[in-house]
Amino acid sequence: MKALGDLRDYAVARVVGPAALRVQRWGNQWRAWRGSGWESAYLAPPLGVAVRGKEMVARHWLAGRYANRDRKVAWITSAAPVELLHALGFFIVYPENHGAICGAARVAVDLSCEAENAGYSRDLCSYARTDLGSLFSGRTPVGRLPMPDLLFACTNICQTVLFWYRVLAHQLRVPLVLIDTPFVYFETAPEHAVAYVQRQIETSVPVLEKIAGRSLGMAKLKETGTLSREAAHLWMEIMQRNAHQPAPISVVDQFTLMAPVVEMRGEPATVDFYAAMLREVDGRIAEGVGAVKDERHRLLWDNLPIWYRLKDVAEMLGAGGAALVASTYTNAWGELADLIDPEEPFESMARTYLYPILNRGTGHKLKTMRRMIDQYSLDGVLLHSDRSCKPYSIGQLDQRDRLARETGVPALLLEADHNDSRCYSEAQVANRVAAFIETLER
Amino acid sequence: MQPDVNVAPLPSIPRRRDLARAHHERGGLVAAVLPIHYPRALLRAFGILPMEVWGPPNVDAARAASRLQPYVCSIVRNALSFLESGGLQIADLLIVPHACDSLQGLGSVLLDFVHPAQPVLPLYLPRNPAPEGTAFLADEFRALHQRLAEVTQRTPSESELMQAILDEEVADDLLRRVHEQRPTLPLTTFDFYHLVRAREFLPLDSFVSLARAILAMPAVKSPPKIPIVLSGIVPEPMDMLRAVDELGASVIADDLACCGRRLYPAGRSRDPFMRLAESLLGGSPDSTRGSPIQDRLDHLLGLAHSTGSRGVVFHDVKFCEPELFDLPVLRRGLRDAGLPSITVEVDLNDAVSHQARTRLEAFLEMIA
Repeated sequence: MKALGDLRDYAVARVVGPAALRVQRWGNQWRAWRGSGWESAYLAPPLGVAVRGKEMVARHWLAGRYANRDRKVAWITSAAPVELLHALGFFIVYPENHGAICGAARVAVDLSCEAENAGYSRDLCSYARTDLGSLFSGRTPVGRLPMPDLLFACTNICQTVLFWYRVLAHQLRVPLVLIDTPFVYFETAPEHAVAYVQRQIETSVPVLEKIAGRSLGMAKLKETGTLSREAAHLWMEIMQRNAHQPAPISVVDQFTLMAPVVEMRGEPATVDFYAAMLREVDGRIAEGVGAVKDERHRLLWDNLPIWYRLKDVAEMLGAGGAALVASTYTNAWGELADLIDPEEPFESMARTYLYPILNRGTGHKLKTMRRMIDQYSLDGVLLHSDRSCKPYSIGQLDQRDRLARETGVPALLLEADHNDSRCYSEAQVANRVAAFIETLER
Repeated sequence: MQPDVNVAPLPSIPRRRDLARAHHERGGLVAAVLPIHYPRALLRAFGILPMEVWGPPNVDAARAASRLQPYVCSIVRNALSFLESGGLQIADLLIVPHACDSLQGLGSVLLDFVHPAQPVLPLYLPRNPAPEGTAFLADEFRALHQRLAEVTQRTPSESELMQAILDEEVADDLLRRVHEQRPTLPLTTFDFYHLVRAREFLPLDSFVSLARAILAMPAVKSPPKIPIVLSGIVPEPMDMLRAVDELGASVIADDLACCGRRLYPAGRSRDPFMRLAESLLGGSPDSTRGSPIQDRLDHLLGLAHSTGSRGVVFHDVKFCEPELFDLPVLRRGLRDAGLPSITVEVDLNDAVSHQARTRLEAFLEMIA
């Protein structure tokens, strides 16, 4: 019976499922080619490559349903040194990405309530509440989450992940490997911080090898690092194409198209995907196609997206001729590409994973925003004050004031939450955005 | 309320402002230190008087509203408000240890935007309990040593530093003994915390004298009170402790970040920086240091069993992620072990609400 079950799962995961997803992609590509199914007076249709990205993500989660049968599974934070785990053959699940999928599918509040009913405060991160709720209830829009053999957390995005993963470790009784990355308050991290992170990465290897049941091959690690760097480089190039006017790819599209560089960096398919995307973006530039049909204002987005209102926000802005051209969040997945050195994997991983924008000071983020304003010729900034993400949000009030005062670029603070729609006021956001666009038109 | 016959007259505690002035007159510097863990002995070696800033409660929090969102905890908001209203003018430098995302953000905002008159010295607390974490913390202390030398224009010798460490270890040991003797001390819960929290700002000699005076108090057999364990970050507003006394209960042990989690054991190394790091990381399990929840649960159960406590009160500051994440598992674990618990969520600027008092009263009646 078990053999039959294995055979059925294998067929679904490797043959039937992928084939069905491919057919679905062909259908989507056909509809996109005919121009049907897209109803926006203000926004250009998504990139054609988006359907391929959707298929990649869907295939990943489909494989995940059956991953526990034949692979070791790691649950991992989004900016952790994933290259190690890829090289050791782990199947990788990003609970934050799963949380974002739940947010976009508008099931995050239901799942959060499950966690809240179990005693988790509404003041906690909504990604964490969403995923804990999914774990407690067994409900997920991706079908089924594979259970982890390993939890791998890196504190370079927040301390929240440490608290969250400790709960998971306690609940699931699986080992937690922690890469603790000291916060970089000043321009550069002190050398003892780099050494600390490097030592942690190195000493994690025997633990990971034991769980994986295989040894880490340096050739494989270098190959993974190379692919990771290539994907991050391509992603950066794509974003930088938005210096062109009109911007060919909106930040709202970037939010969904960044999934592979977050959860599949280190895989050849990810490099191919972004190479294809770059070609299509270049094609749009050649044809003069902008993501917003009548681009009159070019904006910067700061912080995580509001997953459950992505399209609404894009439409709201598009109606006023405003395009979201750049974002500190999507930028974070490309800006460190140059630090990855496959020939010195451990030291370069230590440096790369110390310097994400979320592990750096509030002044560094202000500097990044100023640079992006110049680089992308921006005339406004939207700062999402995200109740669920304190490290990203603290400092925004000063950043808003400094931007307006020192660059003359107006900035608006929007109160919301990346996953919990109970913290989002539709009318208030609409009124404030409309008033902001009026300001830009003066 | 009938006066408690077992309550002794309290040793007087000098005011912070007077202490700071006297310290300045002796040529020393004063450091305002934010929560939670920091190397007190290292500051003392430079002749610096550390004065901790846990909020403070009941300040005009509106001053911080122009820089911090309302979903940041009141410990952090109040600290910034207090600074911006001139409350920290007595301090010559600010030390901002890393305890959570909010304190990290405050440190960064101070450095990048507020630019207070005093130098701001951040300090990262490692979350990895492995030897790498201890070695890193020793390096952090070396870096802090260098910054303090720049600020004070003096450099204590290694033997001076080691002596300061040994002196602090004596004070830490006295503090631990005060906590252990709590059940027989003739002090109300409120008075106990009023005295032991003087460790947050007293000069070393004054604290040692105070601790010895407390330990010399005649042991009493307390009237029957309901023994409880208090957990959380800081027992503010302190009126909650008065309520505990008035309702016939007594905090017999605590797992507070500002008190019980800072009963540091002495370090072992001969290297002063390693010794400081070993000591600081050797405290009881703490959410802000990344301790496993099971360790915290075991510690709480151990505290309750060793003191005969009948319940645990979690006194949590609103928006405190490190504590709030652990809470459901801790409460479930305590319940499974037959130990009731209650959560009281507070904001440092709010008086103890009638609702909170009623809930506490009902809880105490239940476990009495």
